[in-house]
Formats: sequence, structure tokens, C-alpha cells
Amino acid sequence: MTERPFRKVRLTGLLLLLLLAFLLDLSTGTVSISLKEILRVFLSPSTANPTWQFIVQGIRLPKACTAVLAGCGLSVGGLQMQTLFRNPLADPSILGVTAGASLGVAAVMLAGGSMATLFAIKELGMSGSWLIIGAACVGAGSTMLLVLILSRRLRDNVMMLIVGIMIGSITLALISIWQYFSNPEQVKDYLLWTFGSLGGVTGGQLSILAVVVVIGLTVAMMSSKMLDALLLGENYARSMGLSPRKARTVIICSTSILAGSITAFCGPIGFIGIAVPHIARFLFNTASHRILIPACCLIGTTLLLLCDAFAQLPGSQAVLPINIITSIIGSPLVIALLLRQTTVHTW
Amino acid sequence: MVAATPLLSTRNLQTGYHTGKRKIVVAGMLPDLRLEPGQLICLLGPNGSGKSTLLRTLSGLQPALSGEIHIEGVDRWSPAALARKISLVLTDRVSGNNLTVDSLVALGRYPWSGWLGRLNSADLSNIDWAIRATGIGPLRDRKIHTLSDGQSQKVMLARALAQNTPILMLDEPTAHLDLPSRIRLMRLLHKLARETRKAILLSTHELDLALQIADEVWLLHTGGQLHSGAPEDLVLNGTFEAAFAEEDVTFDMEAGNFLIYTPQEKPVMLAGEGPAFFWTRRALRRAGFEPVEKAILNIRVEQRQGHPIWLVERSGETGEYDSIRKLLQVIS
Amino acid sequence: MNSNFSRRKKGEDKDKFGYFCAMSYIRRWFNAASTLVILFFLPACGGADKQPHDNTPATTVPSSARSRIKYAHGLAIDYPGQYKEVRITSHAAGRTDTLDYLLLPAGMAVPPGHAHAQVIRIPVRSMIVMGSPHIAQAEFAGVADRITGVGNGDYVYCPLVREGLQTGRVRQVGLESGLNNELVISMRPGILMTMTNPDAAFGEYATLMDAGIPVLPNADWLETTPLGKAEWVKLMGALTNREDLVNMKFDSIEQAYLRLAAIGNAAAIKPSVIIGMPFKGTWYTPAGESYVAQLLRDAGASYYWSDTKGTGSLALNFETVAPEALKADFWLDAGDVNSKKDILSQDARYGAFRAFRSDAVYNYNRRVNDHGSSDYWESGAVNPQRVLADLIRILHPGTLPADTLMYYKQLK
Repeated sequence: MTERPFRKVRLTGLLLLLLLAFLLDLSTGTVSISLKEILRVFLSPSTANPTWQFIVQGIRLPKACTAVLAGCGLSVGGLQMQTLFRNPLADPSILGVTAGASLGVAAVMLAGGSMATLFAIKELGMSGSWLIIGAACVGAGSTMLLVLILSRRLRDNVMMLIVGIMIGSITLALISIWQYFSNPEQVKDYLLWTFGSLGGVTGGQLSILAVVVVIGLTVAMMSSKMLDALLLGENYARSMGLSPRKARTVIICSTSILAGSITAFCGPIGFIGIAVPHIARFLFNTASHRILIPACCLIGTTLLLLCDAFAQLPGSQAVLPINIITSIIGSPLVIALLLRQTTVHTW
Repeated sequence: MVAATPLLSTRNLQTGYHTGKRKIVVAGMLPDLRLEPGQLICLLGPNGSGKSTLLRTLSGLQPALSGEIHIEGVDRWSPAALARKISLVLTDRVSGNNLTVDSLVALGRYPWSGWLGRLNSADLSNIDWAIRATGIGPLRDRKIHTLSDGQSQKVMLARALAQNTPILMLDEPTAHLDLPSRIRLMRLLHKLARETRKAILLSTHELDLALQIADEVWLLHTGGQLHSGAPEDLVLNGTFEAAFAEEDVTFDMEAGNFLIYTPQEKPVMLAGEGPAFFWTRRALRRAGFEPVEKAILNIRVEQRQGHPIWLVERSGETGEYDSIRKLLQVIS
Repeated sequence: MNSNFSRRKKGEDKDKFGYFCAMSYIRRWFNAASTLVILFFLPACGGADKQPHDNTPATTVPSSARSRIKYAHGLAIDYPGQYKEVRITSHAAGRTDTLDYLLLPAGMAVPPGHAHAQVIRIPVRSMIVMGSPHIAQAEFAGVADRITGVGNGDYVYCPLVREGLQTGRVRQVGLESGLNNELVISMRPGILMTMTNPDAAFGEYATLMDAGIPVLPNADWLETTPLGKAEWVKLMGALTNREDLVNMKFDSIEQAYLRLAAIGNAAAIKPSVIIGMPFKGTWYTPAGESYVAQLLRDAGASYYWSDTKGTGSLALNFETVAPEALKADFWLDAGDVNSKKDILSQDARYGAFRAFRSDAVYNYNRRVNDHGSSDYWESGAVNPQRVLADLIRILHPGTLPADTLMYYKQLK
């Protein structure tokens, strides 16, 4: 119980760190804009340089907001998966939903000789980025449905884990076949998509993503008690009145909504989902999901904002794909945590 | 002592599994069972006789193949409502990452707390009581994975107590404990049953402890028959011995335990009394001797200045020894 | 996602790990993809083959029928006697790689000292081509009817080849790792023309070469000037003994291009342009030494990245390009879009660009057939003067006689 004030301090500290990371992300970029100019864009737009205004409000702000949403969603999804499957390696992509989204995107990007189909879709008025997002949503949604149907027939979560991985590999195999027979230029576009990007989500898309992520997070928060019970394993959870199937359905829905929507809008972003739950558990020294979920949101957001800021190579006009940065930063972090934990355990 | 409606009762219960479309019956001939408040019941039986399956079935973890289970006279319970009636201690290993003893015990309040799992003062006092009752206060802030098996077992019991249900079921709770801990745990359970009027059902292999402490024993035979009754009745009418007969072990009705060795033919005449006599007999049996009415080998245990001595007479030769070890060296 | 049906080495898409190593390569062809060209659109592609000296047995190649390479860096043709030597060079990645080919008249023995060169028997009577520009080059030389196979038929614009695909005269043989070796061997083409970078390992074609089918990389897209790129038609001329026709037509293209470039270079006002469209936050724009940048300079445009190094594309982030994009006078080659509405559906932020607001967005998809293939990638590749004329008409209205644009269209 003495943990309470200590947690408050950490949460407040993280919140401050998050704000700093947000400001850092807003102020880093290949075009150098001073913090004063950035503040002016927000505080007195009429006196701001219109180019700076476009860059800050049109490019950097939506990108930072996307990082916030993706950071929250992926890390909470990862936390849910790690608890549901009692596996420290689980992440949101383990359900195959991410692969499903990729399949949807591959279907429209790698038309694979069905240019006519693509033209037909465009005639319907779906085009551009919405086409890709729509396809990814359909892909993620149908995978989720398949996983849910199978999950009703399976008795335990280990089976579910295996089924999820199998669905993922079938999906990726389908994509590979598609790639194999596709025009190289389309393959290139698709590969670019798989690198992930926070920069492509603006305006209406951002609002939709925000609504969906908030729904997913709310469901996750409501499932926090179930997640706590699942820590003891399915038998104990059941003995405490939890219906494992119902819990599994709720948790899979929440994670799928989060991972599916974020993948649809940003492409696959790895590692946040694995790394952040570990960091949260380490920092807050608790297993209670009521605390871990908000902690994951704060840490995931901060981490993704920092990754995005690092992705803007200083002195270069190029940006590294976000998916690469998250792995480069995420893996050493997890290793460092594990090393610290081992020393704690061995005394 | 028998209430109008028992806490738990079964009718025509059959336990087992479904694998795919196949039905595997574990226990198909169960008599109707009853659990009453304040009762401590030990479920005994050889390995593979279906003790765990029966416990899991009674506690609702797995469906019965057929038959009915009534809790407080009602046979249909939602998982959430059932969790307020039955709490469990299982053999499952719990190694939740970062879980402290305190929060694990607090999870016991799951069936009673709100949708976010916030604890009110009633929850907290239940948790405190469970921790005090099991004596794990000093462990409160420890992480689960740092506990020894025995500590871990107590913590899981505390969690079940915090759940505060009229029925408590434990699957081999003494499995990983040393002897004093086993005795203490059994004593604690006995006390709980008496003081809180909980019905406690536990499966165990500790026959002698079970015989001492159980109000009633359910004895499962390989093949799925079950005999229930006061432990002493089951011993006296030979049910006990029969249950384990296949295992090629013998139940010593006088000592209330099983014989590790197989009886042998070397005859010996033994005389004496008191603990020294009792332990000498055990030692001789281990060494392959069977006490009979008349034999060439004659051993007498006597007390001399408060210490036992052993007098041996064989074919006219005699000897006197001050320990069982020396005695055994000579006669072997 | 336009047009070309092969611009990539084997394995890039399958091997994600190696992707980064392959990136510079990809960018180079991406750049190639975002450039231009044309003057005469040859009325019917290919058509009947009426050239007289096609089958003349060569004693020595007459001087009128020799090609001299002026602009292309990667191609050399020599005429040492009764035969021809073709040398394909790649200067990629600081290395120079050379592939030698002997073009021998039918029946002629391999001259001494060339034991290891690949032999191509000329005139080539049937060919399988893997890239869109190859089709255009064949059309240019009047031999499009000799194309018996293409890599992927989906992106072919040339009506003659399209018709051939429908009647079965032209087969699809698959691209790169998907190449159907057995089909190719059974077709016994005179050559297989690939878009593979000459310095790439030829392992994937070993089977074909063992089977006696010459594999010839045609890497026009590695060139750094529009004329250099177009000059690869001379390779097609040499292969089919049509040097005189090809030289004549190329000379007139060259003259037309240089005349137009003089007009463009002399323009007093050089409007600023941006090229392409960002995808997932990254904006690929031609580097200063690319043929697109050269074309823009010749068209009298002011291009912000004109002085940068590199022959491929620069991968910039949106933010880097944004200050230029906001104020540029023209926006060219905007990608796979047909209207301003399409652009907004890609990303509403593009509506803030000055060129967007002043209707100065032009895209090269005026000539697109109902399969979505664009002629810009075919005939545009061998007619840089046409593309240049389009650009000058767009950037400097009034300097050329009024005419409709050939490849470009204004997005509304």
C-alpha cells in the first residue's frame, strides 16, 4: 500500500516525459524550425510563417498524434496478448490480425494481373489512401472473425496461440505468392507499406483512427479485471468466476480492433507491442492491469514519439522507416531490462 | 449434524473427458456424495484413480459426463455465482510475472469486487484475515516466483480463503511440503472447518494424516468406484487395503500405514512392550523377519535404567545389545 | 504502379533483409520510371517489315549502316569486320562491369579471340523482351512484329503486341524469378532482352544461356540523359541490321531535342517545379544527375534538387519537400492520379500546394489504354523530344506553336 504515492510520482513523471517527447517530435524534422516559431504557430497563427504553419500543423502535428494513438494501441494490445497467452513474447501481431491487414493491402497493391479489378474498385469511388485503409480493414476484420470463430471451438489459450500463429503464416505465405507473381514496382510499393509510417494519416483518417483506438482502449480497460485473473492461469481464473471463452473473446476483440486499425492506417509497426509491456511492468513493479494499461499508454506513446523523432536523421533529408527504428531502439531496451531483472533475482 | 440441504450433493455423477468425439469415463460408478458445513473430507486413492478429475468436476472446472451436482440444492450456477460458493487450490504452478503475494491473495476477491476490480473495506478485511490465518504476513511484498514451494502453497490457500466461500476444495495441497508443514497445514484446515463451518474437500496421498484428521474419507479405487465413510470404518472393513491391493502393497491395520517391504518368511520370536517393542518390530520386518509364536531366534526387549536393551537367544547362544543397529548386525 | 513490367533484379521482393542494399538500385529505376519522352508517335507500331537489306549477306558492314554512340554511357557498338561487337557497361556502385556480345551473321564461325563472348546471330528474327522500352525500341526499328514473348502482358500499350497476346502469337513468359524457362526454350527466340542491371549476377539465366539462348541486358534506364536513354534504339538497330533506318530517325530526334532544349534553356523565366508524390511519408524526387533532372533543365524549369549528386532518386521526407511544394509553380508526374480529386483522396494536405490551387498539376497519363498501361513508358522512352515539347508547352506557354500535349494532361 506504500506503493500508491510512488506510483503517482512515476505516472506524473511519465506524463511530463510524454509532453517533452511530444514537443521534441514537433520540433525535430529536416526543416529546422525553432521552438519559438512552433509555439507561435499554435498561439498566434496569424503572425506565423505560412510554410512553417503548414509543416507544423499539416505534417508534424498529425504525425505526432498518430504516434500517440499507435503507441497506446500497440502497447496495450501487446500487454493483453502477453497476459492472455501467458507468454512474454506475445505481441498484437500474434493473432494474425496484422498479417490479415497486410493481406488486404497486398490484395490491392499487388493486383497480380487483376488491374481490371483494381480499376473497378476505383470506379466505385474508393481510391488513394482510403482504398488501402479499406482493404487493410477488410483483411484485419476477416482474420479477426476467423480467429474468433476458431476460438469458440478451442478450449485453451495455448491452442489459440498456435492457431493465431498458423493463421499468420498462411496469410504471409499468400502474400509471398502474390509478391512472387507481381510487377516489381507494385512489390516495391507494398514493401514500402510494410515499413510502416506515421506520416500518412491526416484529417478525417486521423479522427477515425482516434475513435477506433479509443474504443479499443476502453474495451481493454474494462477487461483489466479479467486480465488480472488470467495471470493465475485458466483454471484459477475459471474458479474465480471468469468465463475463459468470454474473456478470450473480449480480449481478442479489443486487441484486434487496436492492432487492425493501427496497421491499416500506419502499416505494420513492430516491437512496441512486445517491449512496452515489459517496460511498464518493470517501472511500476506490479501485475495489476488497472495500472499497467495506463502505464503502457504513457510509455508506448513516449517511446513511439521518441522513435519518430530519431527517425529524422540529423543532417539528412531522409527519414528512416519507423518500423526499423522501433526495433533498433526496442530490442536493446528489453535486453537491458532482462539483465537488470536477472541480477535482482539472483540474490 | 446433517443439514436439510447439504452444501454440495451429487446424483448419478459420472466423471471423465471428451476428446474429440470420444468419451473417456474416469469414474462411472460414483455413489451420491454430500458435503456438509464444518466437514473436512479427504479424497484418497492411488495414482490415476481420478481424484483430480472428481475435484475438477465437483468444482465446475470441467463438465460432468452425466449426473447432477447440486450446490445448496441448486444445480445450475453461472460461473460468477459459483465462484462465490466454491474456492479452489490447485496443483497448477502460478508464476505470474511481477505478481506479489499481496496482489495474488487480493485476486481471491475477484468474484466479489466491481468491474474494475477495486477493493472495498470488506474485501480488504477478508484479505487480511486470509493472510493472518495462513501466517504469510512476512511474505506480503514478495514476488510469487521468489517463493519456495511450501510458501507458494500457503499463499494459494490464502487466496482461496480470501475468496471466502462456504466450500473449499484443495488438490494435493501437501504435495510439496515437508512433514512439519504438512502437519501444520492439515491442522489449519481442520481448525478452519471447525471454526468457520466451511466444508473442506481435499485430495491427498498422506494416508496416515488423512486418517487422523478427516471427518470422512472418500476412497477412490482404480476403475472409478468410490467408498465413503469414517476413516476408521474403512480401515476396519478392509476397504482400505482393497483399494490399494493392486499396487502390491500391504496396509498394516494395526499401525495405520502401508508396508514398504513385502512380508518374508524368516521367523522370529519377539517379546517386550512400549515404543521400543513397536520400533523393534518395524526394524525386524524391514530386515526380513516375521514375528511368530515360536521360533529358534528369540528376541526380548527390556528396559534397564530407563534405556532399552535387546536380549538375543539363538540355538543356545545369547547376546545383549544396546541399539537396534547392533541387533540387526548380529542376527542378519 | 504504372507501366513498366520489369525494372528490378531478382529476389529483391523476396528478400526483405536485402532490401536496403537493393534500395539504391530500385531508386534508380524508379527515377527512370518518372521520366519522359516523344516526338513522332509511330503511326502503327511495327508493321510489316519491308526494309531491303535485312537479309543481305554481309561481307563487311557498310559505313552507312554503322551506328556511333554519342550519348549513351552503357552501350558501345563496334564494327571490326563482317560482324559486330556490342559491349554493355554498368558503372554502378563505383565498379565497371562489362558484358561482351558478338553479333554474327548466320553461319559465320566465331572469330578467334572471342571464345567466351556470347554469340547472337543477326538479323534477330524473334525476340522475347522484358521491359516496356524494349517494345518501343522494336517499334522504333520497325520490328515490333518480331516480338514473340513479353514478361508480363498486362502492361503492354503497343496495340500490335496486345493483339499478338490475344491471338497467341505473343506469349507471356513471366518475370525474373517467375520466368518460365521451359516455355522460353521451347520458343527458341533469337534473344531474350532483360532489364537486369548488367552487373547483376546472371545466374538466373544460366539455364537459358546453356540452352543456347542469348540473354542481353538492355539497361536504357541507367542512362543519365534523355538522349542517352533514347539512343539504346541503336542496339535494336544493330540486332536487326537496320542501322540506317534507326540512325536516320534518331538523328532527327536528336536535332529536334537539341532545338527544343535551346528554346527551353533560353527561357527568361524559369518556373519552379516539383516532381512526384510522397508515399507513406517519403517523397522520391529525381536526383540532379538523373535524366529527369536533365530533361527539366532542358525544358527551362527551375528544379530545387538540380544540383544534387546521384543518377537515381532522392528519398526525402514530406517535410523536406514541403517548403518547395507549397510555392512551386508546377507539379509534374504526380503519380497514379487522374484528377485533383484523386490527389485529395491520396492526402488532403496536397490541396495546399500552390500548383494545385492554380491548376498547374500535370501528369503523364494522357495516353493510357483500358488496361491501365501508359504509352508514356513505351513510345515516350524513345521519343524524348516529344516529352520535352510537352514540358515546354506546359512551362512556357506561347514559345512553341500551339498544339495539344502528347503524353501529359492537366489535372482538373
